[in-house]
Amino acid sequence: MSFWSCTGTIGDTGPSLLGGAALLPQTIRAPLRRLTRREYDNTVRDLLGDTTSPARALPSEEIGNGFGNDASSLSMSTLLAEQYANVAEDVATRATATAEALARWAPCVVAAASADEESCMRATLASFLPLAFRRPVEQAEVDELVLLQKEVRDSGTYAGSVAAVLEAILQSPDFLYRIELGEPDPEHGDRRRLTAHEMATRLSYLFWGTTPDPGLRGLAASNDLSTPEQVRAQAALMLDDPRARPMVRTFFNGLLPVAALGDAHRDAALFPRFNATIASLMRQETEQFAEHVIFEGEGDWVTLMTAPYTMVNDELAAYYGMSAVSGSAFRKAAVDTTKRRGLLLLGGVLTGTTHSNHTSPVTRGAYVMRKMMCVDIPLPPSELADKITPPPPYSAPTARERFSQHSVDPVCATCHQLMDPVGFTLENFDAVGMWRNRENDVTIDASGKLPGYEEGVGGPVDLVNAIAASEDGPACFTRQWLSFAYGRSFDTKDKGTLQAVTTAFADGGYDIKELVLAFTQTDSFLYLPREPE
Amino acid sequence: MSRFKLDRRAMIRGLGGVAIALPWLEVMGEARAQSSGPAKRFIAVYTPGGTVRDKWLPTGTETDFTLSPILSPLQAIKHRLLVLDGVEMRSAQGEQHQAGICALLTGTPQDGAFDNYAGGPSIDQVIATRISRGIKQHASLYMAVRWATGNSRGLLSPINATVFEDNASCAPIPPRLDPVAIFNSLFAGGANPDLTAQRERLARKRSILDYVDRRYDALAKRLGVADRAKLDAHLTKVREIELGVQVQEDALGAQCAAPRQVDTSDYRHDIGSTFEGATDAAIPKVGRYMIDMMVTAMACDLTGVGVFQWTDTEAKHTFPWLGLGEHHHFYQHDGGYRPAELERIYNWYAQQHAYLLEQMEAVDMGGHTLLQESVVFFGSELQEPPSHSKRNMPFLLAGGGGGLRGGRFVRYDNRSHNDLLVSILNLFGDGRTSFGRDEFCDGPIGRLT
Repeated sequence: MSFWSCTGTIGDTGPSLLGGAALLPQTIRAPLRRLTRREYDNTVRDLLGDTTSPARALPSEEIGNGFGNDASSLSMSTLLAEQYANVAEDVATRATATAEALARWAPCVVAAASADEESCMRATLASFLPLAFRRPVEQAEVDELVLLQKEVRDSGTYAGSVAAVLEAILQSPDFLYRIELGEPDPEHGDRRRLTAHEMATRLSYLFWGTTPDPGLRGLAASNDLSTPEQVRAQAALMLDDPRARPMVRTFFNGLLPVAALGDAHRDAALFPRFNATIASLMRQETEQFAEHVIFEGEGDWVTLMTAPYTMVNDELAAYYGMSAVSGSAFRKAAVDTTKRRGLLLLGGVLTGTTHSNHTSPVTRGAYVMRKMMCVDIPLPPSELADKITPPPPYSAPTARERFSQHSVDPVCATCHQLMDPVGFTLENFDAVGMWRNRENDVTIDASGKLPGYEEGVGGPVDLVNAIAASEDGPACFTRQWLSFAYGRSFDTKDKGTLQAVTTAFADGGYDIKELVLAFTQTDSFLYLPREPE
Repeated sequence: MSRFKLDRRAMIRGLGGVAIALPWLEVMGEARAQSSGPAKRFIAVYTPGGTVRDKWLPTGTETDFTLSPILSPLQAIKHRLLVLDGVEMRSAQGEQHQAGICALLTGTPQDGAFDNYAGGPSIDQVIATRISRGIKQHASLYMAVRWATGNSRGLLSPINATVFEDNASCAPIPPRLDPVAIFNSLFAGGANPDLTAQRERLARKRSILDYVDRRYDALAKRLGVADRAKLDAHLTKVREIELGVQVQEDALGAQCAAPRQVDTSDYRHDIGSTFEGATDAAIPKVGRYMIDMMVTAMACDLTGVGVFQWTDTEAKHTFPWLGLGEHHHFYQHDGGYRPAELERIYNWYAQQHAYLLEQMEAVDMGGHTLLQESVVFFGSELQEPPSHSKRNMPFLLAGGGGGLRGGRFVRYDNRSHNDLLVSILNLFGDGRTSFGRDEFCDGPIGRLT
């Protein structure tokens, strides 16, 4: 959604992300979610002990909300259906290949005599099917699979027919999709609540990216996930578990432009010290930094944005020219706070927002405004398409001069005033994330502006301080977590929830763990609308 | 569901350089000595970054013309080639590269479409519905080399989406990327000479799919409209695969000569954006292997429709075999416009296209060649990198299907590319007069036959 129209006036105080009337949070039903490739891999690992990451053979998710888990975007292709079958066959082959593999889920199969085959199949399904479907199952559901097993058994081995049953389970909607039918809420006739097993599943995929473990299943079975307080208490335990770390990593990998650092390809003559190893270390730096702030450090968003330190190892510290850090393990190290502070000024973010040997204030500015301020910058209007030519990288000594047409031509300026003035403030960082005072022997002017905010910005540290002090910065961070946590795109109907959660975020000193827990306490997380959409 | 039998043999020459006997399948009736009537196969090829126009444009008249330096590798197959000029991709509205790739086969703008993809189906899928879906083992084959190399981070994004479903969702379709999986999907079944074992394997597959089919059907009925639509969409694809299994069962024993298997262990198909020298170096080998599999799949009638995508619009891979160590987008504009390097890249793509066309021309389908019954479209997302212009698109057609007449350089007076898509559909017996967004349609572009 667009908060600013490029064709309108962008005042010094643009409407904020939270602006307008206060709204009541609404219960928004998540669209039917299918396991992502990461979730599929984790799920078969936990169910069957299969650690081969078989979902790599599935086609990519749509980029959607930026995190690759957007249920509003997920589509279904012939290739995906075909690969679900192929992957299921491979997983089932491995799961029935050895007595050890069978012991994980179908121990009786190894020694079953022909007279015991059906009873063994039934015993296996009685224990395994509720795990695979993440809920109690009905007798008819077991019977249907027993029939399938017998049908396949006629022309093959017993183990082969058991594998066929597993293949069928792994392709069924009950496994691949997170079905939420809900149940009546005795206290509120105008909404439904999740069943205990559905709640366990929601929590499990949110925090741990996998199927519920025995602990969660136990809580569901004893109906101890039915109040908001119980849900919150369990969520807090899960967030403190090491299994929650990949969730945080996945979030920041979607938010930050670091996933493509692997192909940050630079001219070795211009940047002799930059290489694939440094790019990979930069990516680790962003992960380590975010996790440190959240789990070991101050824990709050303002520190995330403005911390006077980073996480580096010996090789990366040497690259940045920081005072010596020993060892290949990452450790906390102070940065020169006249030049760098916080997440946005990490080398990986500055390199990842540059696509060649030359920085682009447009790309960097657009990144900051889209991802950190949640401003939707529209595509260039079609009547301009033929006229737009990126300036050649050698047309002027500095980026500010190369992109001067954007501020001179009023047609360009309407949109580019949302991007370029932000990007100019980052020009002291070159295409490989290193500080520079001059470009082509001309002193860099790093002044600029954070659109929508009155005061000018004098350089990179000023920029991150301005974002940290802005109203939209934390609101946008909240909105990004909402999209990621709920696995969908932000909906205008979410605005009430966004207002409430952002207010609580501010009141709690911008504690990021509290923010994540707050998403388990909204009506959208705890309830379903009365009527399915 | 039409059931058909292996009823004749044909000689296939050229694939792998050896003459081999290839039993092939005719869907309905007797093969004709000449390919007449509607076109029978469609292939679209995408290459990134347009061209260098003054090194691309032929000189001469419609029927007496000289190929440019970039297109010179197509000299030997020129009699089947149509070089098109004066076609504008008006529907390519949105981000400069993304809008081009999303519009190329759909004729719809990116702007306003869901998630900024496309607002309609792509012609390959429309053609697949007409000639292939539920009739052949695979409705269509969409393969890509070195895909999702840049900012799409390995995910399906408007940066790399070319093919869109022919249904109400118009959802983007992901390509097949793994050469080994493609080979197994198309040809592995035929590798087992034991017919009984093959039949049992298919029967087992069918039993499992039956169960899966019933589960989706039953569960969908319990959900609200939006969620039900998702399961129904999944069920539709499961049924498409069930039909494919049936076609396979009917064709059992028809030995389709698989192409020679190629060792691609040095090529990593799943690394998306990561720069990897060995993977880049393997591109020519993998590209030819995929072309061989595509041509064989057509010759064996496993499908009627294919899309072959050399990379995405980001084109962030290098060309070590050409001695070009920077990525394609660097030469386009990231490093300043470098026409000399680009000319070599586009010339190389023309060589690969010539290989595809020549392989198709070498397959005898019973009195006519595979190329003669086909329509092959070659395009890109823009005209030239420095301008990103969508006028005078560097489009090629080739083949003879539906009466397509090659050996020509056809100049149009700035016609919309939607009209070209309409005329391509017309070659397949689809009589529509508009395709894609209506405002860009003025009727068939004509002059193809």
